[in-house]
Amino acid sequence: MSQTKGKVLCVDDEPNILRSLKWMLQKEFEVLTATSGQAGLMLVADHDFDVVISDQRMPGMMGSEFLREVRKRSPRSMRILLTGYSDLQAILRSVNESEVFRFISKPWKIDELPGVVAEAALIAKTQPVPAPIAEAEEAPATVATGVETVLLVDDDSSIFDMLCREVGEQVHVSFAHDLGEAVAAFDREAVGVIVAETRVKGIDMTRMLKLLKQEKPDIVTVVITDKTDAEEVISLINQGQVYRFIPKPVIPAMLKIVVNSARAKRTQLRNAPEIAHRHAVDKISEEARISLAKDIESASHAGGSGGGLMDRVTGGLGHLFGSR
Amino acid sequence: MELSSVATNGSSQTGGSKTAAAESRRQHAAAKHFQLVRYFSLASLVMFVLVALALTYFESQQSGFFKQVQKEEGDFFKKVQDDFSNQQDAAARRDLLTIHEAGNVNLTRLFANALWEKDFAPFVAKAQDIPVDHCRSITDLKDEKDGKLKPPPEKKACFSEVGKKIMAIKGFADLNSKVYDSMKKSTVFKIKVYDLRGITVYSSENAQIGEDKADNAGWIGAAKEGKAKSELVFRDKFSAFEGTVEKRDLIQSYLPVLQPGSDTIVSVFEIYSDVTPFLDQIKKTAAGIKKTATDNQAKVEQASATNQGKVEDFSTQTLIIVLALMLILFGALFVIVHRADAIIARQETEQQQAQQQLAQAEKMASLGQMVAGVAHQLNTPLAFTHSNVSMAMQAIDGYEKPLKLASGISALVKSAGADQISISLESLKAQASGIEESDLDASMPKEMLSDTLQGIEQMRELVENLRDFTRLDRNKTARFDLNKGLHNVIYIAKSVIPTRIQVVEEFGQLPLIECNVSQINQVFLNLINNAAQAIAGDGTITVRSRMEGNRVRVDVTDTGSGIAADALPHIWENYFTTTASGDGTGLGLPVARTIVEEHGGEISVTETSGAGTTFTVLLPAGA
Repeated sequence: MSQTKGKVLCVDDEPNILRSLKWMLQKEFEVLTATSGQAGLMLVADHDFDVVISDQRMPGMMGSEFLREVRKRSPRSMRILLTGYSDLQAILRSVNESEVFRFISKPWKIDELPGVVAEAALIAKTQPVPAPIAEAEEAPATVATGVETVLLVDDDSSIFDMLCREVGEQVHVSFAHDLGEAVAAFDREAVGVIVAETRVKGIDMTRMLKLLKQEKPDIVTVVITDKTDAEEVISLINQGQVYRFIPKPVIPAMLKIVVNSARAKRTQLRNAPEIAHRHAVDKISEEARISLAKDIESASHAGGSGGGLMDRVTGGLGHLFGSR
Repeated sequence: MELSSVATNGSSQTGGSKTAAAESRRQHAAAKHFQLVRYFSLASLVMFVLVALALTYFESQQSGFFKQVQKEEGDFFKKVQDDFSNQQDAAARRDLLTIHEAGNVNLTRLFANALWEKDFAPFVAKAQDIPVDHCRSITDLKDEKDGKLKPPPEKKACFSEVGKKIMAIKGFADLNSKVYDSMKKSTVFKIKVYDLRGITVYSSENAQIGEDKADNAGWIGAAKEGKAKSELVFRDKFSAFEGTVEKRDLIQSYLPVLQPGSDTIVSVFEIYSDVTPFLDQIKKTAAGIKKTATDNQAKVEQASATNQGKVEDFSTQTLIIVLALMLILFGALFVIVHRADAIIARQETEQQQAQQQLAQAEKMASLGQMVAGVAHQLNTPLAFTHSNVSMAMQAIDGYEKPLKLASGISALVKSAGADQISISLESLKAQASGIEESDLDASMPKEMLSDTLQGIEQMRELVENLRDFTRLDRNKTARFDLNKGLHNVIYIAKSVIPTRIQVVEEFGQLPLIECNVSQINQVFLNLINNAAQAIAGDGTITVRSRMEGNRVRVDVTDTGSGIAADALPHIWENYFTTTASGDGTGLGLPVARTIVEEHGGEISVTETSGAGTTFTVLLPAGA
């Protein structure tokens, strides 16, 4: 068994868990374990891991902190966070700081986890590593200004005003009040970054964001969260590969940093579309897809009477989900 | 044996102190309870009585004052009327006198003019010649009755002799009849004429002729000073021209008689004129006035009495109305106060209920926290046991083929009759082809299952801890190993507090204590949670237990941010919380304090600064 599918590091403070993970993965992968973040980082320094799996809740260094360090020291390693305890703040931090590939909740399923690890290992081995994107207030020089639209989907226009103030000079900002308008905007404009609330006018936006990522992986998504539950965030990561979360109340400076970072990411993805494979997503369920289509339809009915709008919406749909 | 007896003793002590504490609390509550309706009723009734008394007093004062004023007014009025009536009477009499004097003067003039030259002048001249000095020389005697000097009878007789001599003068009778004729049918009842010596030379009552009037003030005034003098006199019997008259008011005038054509006084007349009818008139008028005055007075008094009555009625009415109003006011206030009291009582009940509900909420919150912690604790062994068992099953699946092969061979071996059997290697190879070396390793599944057993043991331990921890709603107390309880609480708390925070156990030797286990667990869970909330990043919570005197002391010390000086006085208050709204109920510490105090213990913040806080709980120990 010299030829394994990849090199995996497992970190957990509970030795039983580590043993169990090792038993599960050792057939296919070369598995190393560490019982703390610090020990894990020492191993990262000596080895080139394809996948790093860490428990979130550990004494000393938290899983999200550890994965942030891993991302810094070994950018090509794909990061998976194990979590048994739903601490929303920690999960949001892990997304924004360490760009995790997947959340795996405990107890895991032995017929799923190896598959996820294999997928991650394959991506790590085959896909190029993107250059790190600086988190700065000013947009990086590499970002072309005003070419593509930043689309905000929100029923609260105050955030639109804020967005225009912060980045309006560098990029065109569009505003969609609801799902129908959002779809129409995709038809009308070349959207590079989408900033959305999880829920707009009572309609769940996460399905659209997930479907969008599935079909157009080079569009960067940023989600504004308010009372989002951990479950939803986890599914947005695993199925939507959301680039960043912005907690409410939105702080203007943070909005600016995140949007500029997202635009840099977008530029990176457009210039090298293969990087998007690093953000491969789990397919959303067929039911979710159907219910989304229904909502879009009803939104377009409610939105206007003219055939022009209908056409635009249909056109937007066509543009969005081109193959279908 | 000894230990058990001590323990029993200790338990009864704890129970006793608990009962005493509860009793004192109840008494405190009773003392604090303000009996609104009762106090209001008493206070306002006393007040109303005082007001009623004061009103009555003022009303009676006012009534007395009014009576006094009425009386003074009545007296004044009476005096005015009397004065008026008297003045009027006096004026009428004065007028009468003046008028009659003037009449008498005129009469005298007329009379003198008519009779003097021809009749009286020679007569008086003759009478003046009759000597009287011998009579005057007879000395007066002191009257024994009133001490006044009075002429003795012989003097009177002497003057009477003089009178007889005068009457004996020639022409007396003629003169007398002329006088009578002149005065007949007039109001003049008597005329007397005096010579300048003061001797009566003529009187229409002849008996009086000869009398000496030289000492008479009227005569002196008229004879010496030439002044007429009159006076109103009343006579029971009076000898008039027409005969004797009775009960007459008369005006007696002394009038000087002048020599016609000169101012020389030659004689003095004394005239009595009758004014009885006039005086009667005056008297009648006076009486009428007096009667009117009396009537008026009576009317005034009656009016005064009526007014007094009215005033008194009015004050009584006022008093009654005021009292009635006050009663109505009292009634209204009583109703209001009664309702207010009911509302207050209801609010108190509601507040108590709310407090109970919040205490329950606090309990549920800590229960929820505990459940979350337990769920997490449970999740780790669950995760690996689940995984391990699944993998062990896969491994067992892998044994199927080799076992089939082995059982086939074993059956073959058993059924073979001879020492040698022939096997087709082709078929065996086919059967063995799927068998991999790694599948035959039984040690790994065994290890997996052994780990699983460990996991199950972890879960069992957890459940046991949980059972110890949540003796919820067990109101009965039990003898309890506090160190074990603290360890339990820390174990539970660890699963919910951040992993950056270390919890250190420094337990000393403790006796068993009598307590309500779930309540005491809640106290320490609250304290540890509070300590964890005070620590922002890395930190340590130290739970230290030891004996202090006959009490158990537990310190919960954190290395957190301490308690702000402005928050410190409020930490024991209900609903006071320093965490963001929604994170804490603000009941943790108050509930902890209540529980500790109900156990006869004490809870306090013994040390607080920027470097951390220590909460100390002291509980009575049986030992």
